Amino acid sequence: MTGISRRQMLATVSAATALAVGAAQAQAPLRMRMTWWGGADRARRTNEAIGAYLKRNANLRVDTDSVGWGDYWTRLATQVAGGNAPDLIQMDYRYIFEYARRNALKPLDEFIPDPLAIADFGAANLDSGRVDGKLYGVAMGLNSTAMFYDRTVIERLGLKPPDHNTSWAQFAELCVAITKAASKRGFFGAQDGGYVEPMLEVWLRQRGRKLYDDAGKLGFARDDVAEWFDYWDRLRKAGGSVPGEIQALDRGTPETSVMTTGRSAIVFSHSNLLVAWQGVNQNKLGMTPYPRGERPGQYYKPSMLMSIASSAPNPREAARLINFIAVDPEAGNILQVERGVPPSARMRGAILTQLDDMAKAQVDFISLIADSVTPIPPPPPKGAGENEQLLRRVYERISLGQASVPQAATEFHGEAARILERA
Amino acid sequence: MAARSAALAQQERAAYLFLSPWLIGLIFLTLGPTLASLYLSFTQFDLLQPPRWIGVENYARMFFADQRYRNALSVTFIYVACSVPLKLVFALALAMVLDKGLRGLTVYRALLYLPSLLGGSVAIAVLWRQIFGYDGLVNEALALLGIDGPSWISNPNYSIYTLVILRVWQFGSPMIIFLAGLRQIPMELHEAAAIDGASAFRRFRSITLPLLAPVIFFNLVLQTIDAFKAFTPAFIVSGGTGGPVDSTLFYTLYLYQEAFAYFRMGYASAMAWVLLVIIAISTAAAFLSARYWVHYGDERE
Repeated sequence: MTGISRRQMLATVSAATALAVGAAQAQAPLRMRMTWWGGADRARRTNEAIGAYLKRNANLRVDTDSVGWGDYWTRLATQVAGGNAPDLIQMDYRYIFEYARRNALKPLDEFIPDPLAIADFGAANLDSGRVDGKLYGVAMGLNSTAMFYDRTVIERLGLKPPDHNTSWAQFAELCVAITKAASKRGFFGAQDGGYVEPMLEVWLRQRGRKLYDDAGKLGFARDDVAEWFDYWDRLRKAGGSVPGEIQALDRGTPETSVMTTGRSAIVFSHSNLLVAWQGVNQNKLGMTPYPRGERPGQYYKPSMLMSIASSAPNPREAARLINFIAVDPEAGNILQVERGVPPSARMRGAILTQLDDMAKAQVDFISLIADSVTPIPPPPPKGAGENEQLLRRVYERISLGQASVPQAATEFHGEAARILERA
Repeated sequence: MAARSAALAQQERAAYLFLSPWLIGLIFLTLGPTLASLYLSFTQFDLLQPPRWIGVENYARMFFADQRYRNALSVTFIYVACSVPLKLVFALALAMVLDKGLRGLTVYRALLYLPSLLGGSVAIAVLWRQIFGYDGLVNEALALLGIDGPSWISNPNYSIYTLVILRVWQFGSPMIIFLAGLRQIPMELHEAAAIDGASAFRRFRSITLPLLAPVIFFNLVLQTIDAFKAFTPAFIVSGGTGGPVDSTLFYTLYLYQEAFAYFRMGYASAMAWVLLVIIAISTAAAFLSARYWVHYGDERE
C-alpha cells in the first residue's frame, strides 16, 4: 500500500493523458458512428459503400453496427436516453416523429443543397422525412406493399399468376384453385393475410377508410374490420389459405415464411424484400400489388430514412456521408436497391443498367404502380406498433378457433382504441 | 496504544480496499438499479423523456385493468405448477436408477446432465420447434399410428405443455443433487428393513423419502424460483410474442415486452416488484410447509 504515493499516481495519470491528447492532436481523425437495422447483405453492402467513401476521406473513421429490427429500437432508445446516440441513425417512418419531436434528431435543412444535393428526390419523397416543416430524415429507398407468388408452382399447376388487375374476389378464387390443383397435404394457395396490418391498411384505403386518421385515432369502424376478418375466415375455411396452427409458426422473416417452409404459393410483404425472399426460395418468385379495390390503396413509403443525432459533434460531415449514400452513383452501384428503390432520379438512372433481375423487378414494380398510388398517410400514432401485435393476437383467436368473427372484430376495435388512448 | 490503533485502522482500510470491487459492483450494479426500479415503478417512463410520477397507477392497472397481465399470471402459474413437480419426480427417479450402482455411472451422469447444459440455448428452442411443430418428430411418429396430430407448439391448447416438457427435460442439476443425497442414506437401514420383510416401495416411503426430505425441499425451493423466472424458452420458441394468442406469455416475457417493445419502463418495473413479492410468498409458503415434512438429522426433539 506504500509503494506509490498519491502524488506519484497523479503524475503518472496526467502524463498518460497528455500523451493520449498529444497523439490525438497529431492525427485528429474524425470519428463517426453509424447504426442501422437489417441483415447480413445490408451490412456487407453498406460497409463496402462506406469503405469507398473513406478512400476519398482519409481523415475519417466510421464505426458501424447493425442489429435486427426487433432489437434495434430498444437499443436506440437506450443509447439516446444515455446521451450516447450514434451520429448517423437509420430511421423508420413509424418512429421519426417521436424522435424528432423529442429533439433527438438534427434538422437537416441547413445542409441543403450543400452537402445534401437531394433536390431531385421530388417533393413527396422529401416530405416523407419532414416533421413539423423541418427535414429530419433523408429517404434511402422507396418501397410499397406487395405480394410475392411462386411463379414456378402456379404455372406448373396451369393457373394464371395474380397481377395488378386481380380483384379481391378473384384473388380468393385463385387461392382456392391453387390448393385444389396442388392437392398436397399441408399446401395452400396463400398465407393467411388476416393479421397482416399493411394489407388491412391498403384494403381500408381502397374503401375510403384509413387505418389511422390525421388526429391519430382509428380511421375505421368495427364493421370494417369485421368484414375484413370475415373475408379471411371464409378463405381459410374454403381451403384457400394456410390454417391457423401452421400460420402461427410464421414469424414474418424470410426463413420462417410459409412460402419458404413449403406451405403456400403466395405471401404478403414489401417490395424491397423480394430479394430476401428469393434468396431462400428455390422456385422463381414474382411480385404484384395487393388485390385491387374500388379505389387505389397502395402508397410509396420510404423503406428507411437516414437521420443525424442532435448530439452529433460534426453534423456537416455526417450529412456529407448521407449525401454519398443517397445520390452518389459509386455508392449506388454497391448498395443497389437493397434498401428499396433510390428516390433520387439521377441515382436510379445511374444504376439501372447495373441491376440484376430481382433488383430490376423491384424498380419495375415501383414504376408499375406509379399511376395508382395515393399520398402517404401521416406517420402512425404512438401505440401503432402495439396495435400491430394486437391485430395478430386477436385474429389468431379466429384462426385457431377461439373466437368468432364478430367477437374478434369488437375486441380488436375496442382494444386498439384503448391502446392509442394509453400510449 | 496509539500505534496499535493506527495499525488497526490501516488494516481496516486495506480490508475495505480489497472489498471495494465487490462493494462498487453491489452499489452500482445491483443495489442502485434495484432501488431505481422501485422508484420507476411509481412513474411513467419511456426512456426518451424523463420519468413522470404517477403514484400507484401502474399497480392499480396491473391488478384491476390489465387482461394480458392476468393471463400472463395464469400461464406462469400453470407452468410452475406443472413443471416443478414433474421435473423433481423425473430427477429423483433417474437419480435412484443411477444410485443402483450401474457400471459407467460417471458416463451416464454426464450424459443425463447434458440437456441442462444446453438448456436455455437458442438451439434447443429451435430443436423444440422441429420436434413439436406441424411436421415435427412427434407428429411423424403419430402418423405411423394413423393419427393426424396438431401442431403442438403453435396450438394454444398445447403450446404451454411443450415448454413444460422442455423444462422437465432439463432435470440435470436436481438429479445430481438427489444423487448426492441418496448416497448419504446409510445402506444398513435398507438392509435391516429388507430383512424385516419391507417391500421396495415401503422402504422408499419409510426410509428414502424422510431421509431425503431436506434435499427435496432444497430442490423444490430452487426449482420453484427458477420456474417463476423462466424467460428464454418462451421467448425463443414463440419468437418473442408469447403466442399463439398469448398461450406462452410468461410473466417475464410480458414484462420484457412492456419494457423493451413498448417502452413502458415504469409499468415493467412495477411488474418486476410484484414478481419479487410473488416469489417471496411462494418461498415463504414452502418454508412454512417444511415444518411438517422436512426433518434434519441434527435436529433436537
